[in-house]
Amino acid sequence: MAKILIVDDSSTVRDQVGEFLTENGLDYISAIDGKDGLVKLQGDPGIKLILSDVNMPNMDGLTMVEKIRNELGNSTVNIIMLTTESNPSMKERGKAAGVKGWIVKPFRGESVLTAIKKLIE
Amino acid sequence: MSDNLDLVSKVLILDNAVEYFDTIKQFCDENGLIGLRIHSNNVLRTLNSYVDLGGIFMAEDYAETLEKTLELAALIRKTRPELPIILRRKADSSSEIQADNLAKCFVDSYTIDDLSPLRKFIDDYIFSIVYPNALIRGITEISVQSLQSQFKAQTVTANAPYIVRDRIIFGEVFSLIPLESNWCRGYMMLQTEESILDSLVVSDVGLQYSQTPFRELNNLLGEVTNLIWGAFKNRFINDDVDRANRSVTQVPLVINHQNKYISFGSENPQLCFKYTLLDEATGLFCSIYQWFIFNLDFTPELFEEIQTTVDDLIDSGELELF
Repeated sequence: MAKILIVDDSSTVRDQVGEFLTENGLDYISAIDGKDGLVKLQGDPGIKLILSDVNMPNMDGLTMVEKIRNELGNSTVNIIMLTTESNPSMKERGKAAGVKGWIVKPFRGESVLTAIKKLIE
Repeated sequence: MSDNLDLVSKVLILDNAVEYFDTIKQFCDENGLIGLRIHSNNVLRTLNSYVDLGGIFMAEDYAETLEKTLELAALIRKTRPELPIILRRKADSSSEIQADNLAKCFVDSYTIDDLSPLRKFIDDYIFSIVYPNALIRGITEISVQSLQSQFKAQTVTANAPYIVRDRIIFGEVFSLIPLESNWCRGYMMLQTEESILDSLVVSDVGLQYSQTPFRELNNLLGEVTNLIWGAFKNRFINDDVDRANRSVTQVPLVINHQNKYISFGSENPQLCFKYTLLDEATGLFCSIYQWFIFNLDFTPELFEEIQTTVDDLIDSGELELF
């Protein structure tokens, strides 16, 4: 089964999204910031989709995406940003880095299911 | 002076003169003030139960003697120096108050026949900052929406926004997040009571704590703060404007836990919103106070609501695929 990586510094969001994925029969692991996200991705080849926040301590979500694509050389994992940010220039930066989609919080389950259906199923 | 007709402020009225009640009440009604009248035998206790006042109206004959009124005023000034007090003098007052005594306790005085000093008092000390209507309306909308997204089982309502000069923290838990733009620099603070929020969250269907309850509540308040902050940025802050020239000045924040006091280093009145989370089934409710403290810069002339084109408009929660 395809695994999803949730990257968010808020445990409330990790719990909410994780609970939703479990209810829909999906497997997931969590990371608490961009740095932790890189470590978790490298340690689990089963991860097919990343749902990541942008504003996080230690390493922000867009920096993590740039490192995934450029330093880890991983161009296959799908990445969706789940964030309060809707600034067009930030979206452009994400798009240029290889982000596949953008969801503005608060989190809505149907959008995540749509992303999963379109990108990994 | 605020240009917002819905903006109000709470003032404590320490005045026992029944014959002037109507005049003072009418002044309050006409000037966006909520007058809270209390009796002289419990002033300090009552004062302690209010954390969100804008100022105090006091009569020279409020206590038994003028001397005792001055003592009480001095005590209030000592405990809550951020609250300006204006003194109502009798028109035919024969009591002389030394100028330095007057200045020590009161910012001004007035008589019931001439309320112009009272009007100047609220313009100078309470409604001294202009808050654009679009800002006030927008904050209420995004905050209610953000709270509702996290408290789905509760009904979220917003009170009329108001101005506070108090620096007393409400409840036991609060969050702070910086706000930085070309028109404002400061903080947003959310404050609430831990035990009441806890009762409300526990009563929510199916919630299981995976950590110590206070940590869960901290995280929840943190996420609400993050949601409001994000929505605030998206609606009111154009990150591309004049970023390089923004000031980097900072001042220390001082928090005194024992006295539930917080200072942002500025004497300015602050913009306050109060939200209520009501569980209709149980009747339980919880108050969340939201302060906007623009202590480092506030230039409302540069404020603008970011206009989003229809093509750019994506509802929160919706997926936008690239």
